[in-house]
Amino acid sequence: MMVLATFLSTHAALRAEQELTGELSVELIPVPRQIRSDCGFGLLVGPLDPPGAGRAAEILKGKGATGLWRVFELDSPTSRRKEKRYEPIP
Amino acid sequence: MSPSRRVLDARGLACPQPVILTRKALAEGGFSELEVIVNTSSGRENVARFAGHAGCTIGSIEESGEETRIVIQPPVANWSGPTSTESLAEATMPPVEPGIQTVFLSGRTIGRGDDELGALLMRGFLYTLTESETVPQRVLLMNSGVTLAAEGSEHLENLRRLVDLGVEILACGTCLEFYKLTDQLAVGRVSNMQEIAEFLLQGKALSL
Repeated sequence: MMVLATFLSTHAALRAEQELTGELSVELIPVPRQIRSDCGFGLLVGPLDPPGAGRAAEILKGKGATGLWRVFELDSPTSRRKEKRYEPIP
Repeated sequence: MSPSRRVLDARGLACPQPVILTRKALAEGGFSELEVIVNTSSGRENVARFAGHAGCTIGSIEESGEETRIVIQPPVANWSGPTSTESLAEATMPPVEPGIQTVFLSGRTIGRGDDELGALLMRGFLYTLTESETVPQRVLLMNSGVTLAAEGSEHLENLRRLVDLGVEILACGTCLEFYKLTDQLAVGRVSNMQEIAEFLLQGKALSL
């Protein structure tokens, strides 16, 4: 699985990415339309095992993440791309 | 009928002249084989690729020293090249499917304004393209757009994902040379103005 974090602003997302590069495998991506956010960009972290996802979520909270999701990739019956399912992390 | 051969000496000519002269010679016709002599690697690749697109057969490619002799056989003897009613793009390119086929990126950022934001938007765009249901056939990189595909670029992973999805990445050779990145193209292949212009003129192109 992966963890997706959203932030209050693009600047906050960029700053978190800079601070976490080297510590976590992070990718700055446009936040998927299924997820509401104040900012268009979020950080995708992973792949991670479940304990790693928990640790990553704590680190992302410490960097100002305002929303956190577990991201699961599923095979799609209609597309060669994997579908993504998002579960909010409380 | 004995084969007639025309020799086209394109040595010392800068890209895209060898391709332009090859196209002109093929359009004039009147021979069964065209031998093109070039002395640059881009000339060799671009002439051979153009001949392939134009439906010709490559009879042989012989290298000796810095020179390369490419023997091109038109589809039929005395082939007259693209007819006047047929556009060059139609004559030289594969058939086009509906939808955007070509994405043209002429800079390392999207839009004008703050460069940090523009670079972020480019990352977001390329990532979203990798996640899209439909992808273009090709992405053309020109001016500082070629830096997107050069060693050390933060976009390489997304560009490689696009290549895995069947997208061709083409970088302007003049631009790579200008930015001293000729040896540092990490994804895709070197292209030239002739090919890039033809893809743009086919329509179904999106310029960012």
